Amino acid sequence: MAVTALAEAIDAGAISPRLWLYSNYHCNLACTYCLTESAPHVARRELDGERMVELAAEAQELGFTALGVTGGEPFLRPDMPELLGRLASVLPVVCLSNGTVFTEARLDRLHALAGLPVQLQVSLDRPEPDANDAMRGADNFHKVVDAIPRLVGRGIAVRVATTLGGPVDEAEMARLCELHRSLGVGDEDHVVRPIVARGRAATAGLGVAAGAAELEPELTITADGAFWSPFGPTVVDDRLDTDLLVTRTTRPLTTPAAALLRLVQGRPPGDDARLGIR
Amino acid sequence: MTGAAGIDLVGADQAPLLARPYYLGGDPGPIVAALAHVPELLEVALPFIGVALGPSAMEARAKELAIVRTSALLGCRYCVETHTPVARDAGLAAEEVRALRGEAGLEDVFADPGERALLAWVDALALGRGPLAAELREAVAARFGTPFLVELTILVGATMMLNRFCTALDLPTSPETRHRLEAEGLGWP
Repeated sequence: MAVTALAEAIDAGAISPRLWLYSNYHCNLACTYCLTESAPHVARRELDGERMVELAAEAQELGFTALGVTGGEPFLRPDMPELLGRLASVLPVVCLSNGTVFTEARLDRLHALAGLPVQLQVSLDRPEPDANDAMRGADNFHKVVDAIPRLVGRGIAVRVATTLGGPVDEAEMARLCELHRSLGVGDEDHVVRPIVARGRAATAGLGVAAGAAELEPELTITADGAFWSPFGPTVVDDRLDTDLLVTRTTRPLTTPAAALLRLVQGRPPGDDARLGIR
Repeated sequence: MTGAAGIDLVGADQAPLLARPYYLGGDPGPIVAALAHVPELLEVALPFIGVALGPSAMEARAKELAIVRTSALLGCRYCVETHTPVARDAGLAAEEVRALRGEAGLEDVFADPGERALLAWVDALALGRGPLAAELREAVAARFGTPFLVELTILVGATMMLNRFCTALDLPTSPETRHRLEAEGLGWP
């Protein structure tokens, strides 16, 4: 694959400029709509930290312009704060977190990220504790609402991600926006997306169907291979879904990148992702 | 995934993106459903297998002589059972298939010197180690030409690869094939 072919596809918007890395699958929570059936004692499926840094460098060479780190809860990895710093020295990074693990000690280690192109995307679904915690677990709301201003206060860029289980309730959304603003997160850093019917959400009958036709092609690297989208490497009944698998090979990154490009180029004209989920 | 094999076979609902074209016509068979676990391997292996074992410059009868004989020598139940009907459809008589499978003497069934040379080369390839006898190679080349010899040699090698793959993963013969083998009295123990 000519490097320029992928860069051109990224420039043209045919492939997302962000390379996603699944750092791990385990999590301190067990949310009802979790794509990956994450929980404290699931298989960790960790990506090696050095490999993540290598992937970042390969991604930069291929024309990707941003990185995403997701899980699982990435901050359950002891090496995560430092790893984000190393990744951000290559490309800007957004790291998804449930926002419930930021002890003072961990916040101190995050301090080095202030000023680097790192943004933490913290999940906050509902403006009131009971409604929020029904899907995300007990005391989740208070931990998140406590963590966000402390992150912002330490110079860490934060955006809030809200995952909706149904149509937007305008009054509730207004309360939620008022809340995130009060925590120091502006409207431009508030992401709202639907529950995707994969993983635990599919088992529970929640969310909107999402396959390759609905999802933007965003190359996603996991310990199990490369996938079409970060919504691809989902888990049902402890088994990894492979319907959005691109290649098992992830080294060198050109192998899955070239395969993704072939798949995108094989799409009928105008067959763009319909949901626009981020 | 579907069961009845030594590994989980990838079903249509879990077919990776690069593997999906192979599922468009329905059940793609256990070799595809196994290779689909590694789609980048599938997408290069299947075209190769298709050319090596499928229609090509070498006539179908010669191909099936080589495939059935090789598979029998390597003891691949799946390949012998699956290719017995293919061989019959390619014009091989039931007694020829039985001879290829070791149930009768080759020399009692195959009188054509060219086919005998072909089968001698197949046996040497499938069973031998190290260099092969030059006279066997030269006999095939003299009778059929060098391109045929090259294609036959690749065909036997590809069949051996599939023999070991299908045997190691205990891939299942389809019920339809088993029914046909029973109907024609060509079941393989």
